[in-house]
Amino acid sequence: MTGGEAGRELIRLQDLVKIYDTGSLRVLGLDRINLRISRGEFVAIMGHSGSGKSTLMNILGCLDRPTLGHYYLDGTDVAEMTPDELSAIRNRKIGFVFQSFNLISRMTIEKNVEVPMIYGRVRPAERKQRARELLETVGLLSRMEHEPNELSGGQRQRVAIARALANRPPLLLADEPTGNLDSQASVEIMELFARLHQQGVTVVVVTHEENIAAYTHRIITFQDGRLISDEINEHPTPISEHRGLSGRMS
Amino acid sequence: MLIENMKMALSALRSNKMRSFLTMLGIIIGIGSVIAITSIGDTMRRMFSDIYKDIGVTQGFIFIGYWIEDERESDYFTMDDIARYKEVFGDRIAYADASASLSGEIRTRLTKKKFEFTGIDYNYMDVQPVTVRYGRYLNQSDIREQKPNCVMEASAARDLYGTENAVGRTFRIPVNGTMTEFNIVGVYEKEQSAIQKLLMGTGNGTGYGYIPWTLLTHPNDTFYQYHYFADPSMSEQELTEFNRELCAYIARTKDRKPEDFYLQTAQSEMGQVDTMLGGVSAAVGGIAAISLLVGGIGIMNIMLVSVTERTREIGTRKALGATTRDILIQFLTESALLSAVGGLIGVTLAVGLVSLGGAAFGLPVTIKPGVILMAVGFSALVGIFFGIYPARKAAERDPIIALRYE
Repeated sequence: MTGGEAGRELIRLQDLVKIYDTGSLRVLGLDRINLRISRGEFVAIMGHSGSGKSTLMNILGCLDRPTLGHYYLDGTDVAEMTPDELSAIRNRKIGFVFQSFNLISRMTIEKNVEVPMIYGRVRPAERKQRARELLETVGLLSRMEHEPNELSGGQRQRVAIARALANRPPLLLADEPTGNLDSQASVEIMELFARLHQQGVTVVVVTHEENIAAYTHRIITFQDGRLISDEINEHPTPISEHRGLSGRMS
Repeated sequence: MLIENMKMALSALRSNKMRSFLTMLGIIIGIGSVIAITSIGDTMRRMFSDIYKDIGVTQGFIFIGYWIEDERESDYFTMDDIARYKEVFGDRIAYADASASLSGEIRTRLTKKKFEFTGIDYNYMDVQPVTVRYGRYLNQSDIREQKPNCVMEASAARDLYGTENAVGRTFRIPVNGTMTEFNIVGVYEKEQSAIQKLLMGTGNGTGYGYIPWTLLTHPNDTFYQYHYFADPSMSEQELTEFNRELCAYIARTKDRKPEDFYLQTAQSEMGQVDTMLGGVSAAVGGIAAISLLVGGIGIMNIMLVSVTERTREIGTRKALGATTRDILIQFLTESALLSAVGGLIGVTLAVGLVSLGGAAFGLPVTIKPGVILMAVGFSALVGIFFGIYPARKAAERDPIIALRYE
């Protein structure tokens, strides 16, 4: 989807500051962060709880706005946008993968994958077609008519990834995507991200686990609201070859 | 998008069937009672207007008030009086007689039967249409010459003589104490509405017929009542005015005040029925409004619960690109649908019950489609109105907090 544009800047944070004002107390959530992420990168954002990584995740996801500084996403400064403008940006530019999957119960997984396209005003026939393609990609086409609670954790997370890709966003943003999974499912999910990365998708994973971050190609570490290290991972965990991605990604 | 919202709302309602149903109860009862009562009201109104159409909506009676203590001979009506009113008011009086009748028993070889004969003028058919099956109707010479001729209702003729064609038969019955022999000159049939059949019954054994009203004068030629039909082409207002004017004229010629005479008209009786039905409708409308209010509050309550339960869903939807408006409309659709489905169930129940009742009494039931549409539409509005607050609460959720909600 983004392969041809690999290397072009996707994210730029410029002197970004986030202050939480709780009335009596002002907490510095993020302290002058400067960061660039290019298209096609596979990045881990690491840190302990309270390090500021969740705050950064919320800002990168356009769920929250910085107090000061600029956030350019795909060339647009989103720092000053209204909540509804941010909704539109999230819909088109960002695919979310959450720790607890956040699939909507009472809906088939196919419908779940359609949700971002519904808000993107994609026509029903096209939505259905695209949802099937995506479920095929994550190997769950045969479970299309099932509801989330009939699936295992790993399967649910694959549905969530399919949903995240629905509107072909330039950025896939995963918040502790393996936090609720056993180790085998965790491997599956990280390998899925790795393959998506190979196909040109920009993937940013927020995690506190070293072995998860090890799959990525760049590891950025936060502590006390500051970016303390930004390193290239020369030897990312290799992915097994036998379970190839089926289907096309675009 | 609207279709998507409807689908989402339906699946939300379906996933909590019992809760949805209980929430709808208030609306079901409210809308159900509105439809039931308006249908019963409309049915009754039509029933009464059918009855009055049968007996004539322009019909009236004028007679000296029962509260008048110094009754005088001149308070009664003579044939000359009746002729004079016709001269004065012309075509505005379509028909007039003395509202006299004769009852008695007729014996034949076959049977004996109670009869009631109405004293009529030759043109009574103009205001009370009947179909003459055999022979003829009464004519002017029958009336003028006070001939003892009779037109008899067909089923009564069959009872008496074993055949409906009773033209030429005779019977004897006392008139003012004098045994009189009547000739049957015609046999008629009168169309009856379902309601009239229900009210009158067909088998109460009394036979009906018409004889010249001029036969039924007392020896001194006066009548207690003046009975008339006004011109049916008059508007309601003209009719009211005419009734008043006629009564006033009669009172003046008899040296009385208009209020000394009792003016009884079909129009005013219909008005009373309407007023009564209107009162009943208003009372039930009030009850229904309260029930809808309670139902609406129930909906608001359950929607608030639903919004809280689905906080994470709201957060997720927002993260995936739903705008404030999208969420607002989603929850409004849900509450409107909840309420409208309740309204629809209420309508169905009410229509079922009213139709069942109508079938049991053999009455044609009036249910206006407009009323049903309005009821369902109104219940949807109740849902939207009471859904606004919960939907706004949902829509204004901060996605970060909503996503973290356990």
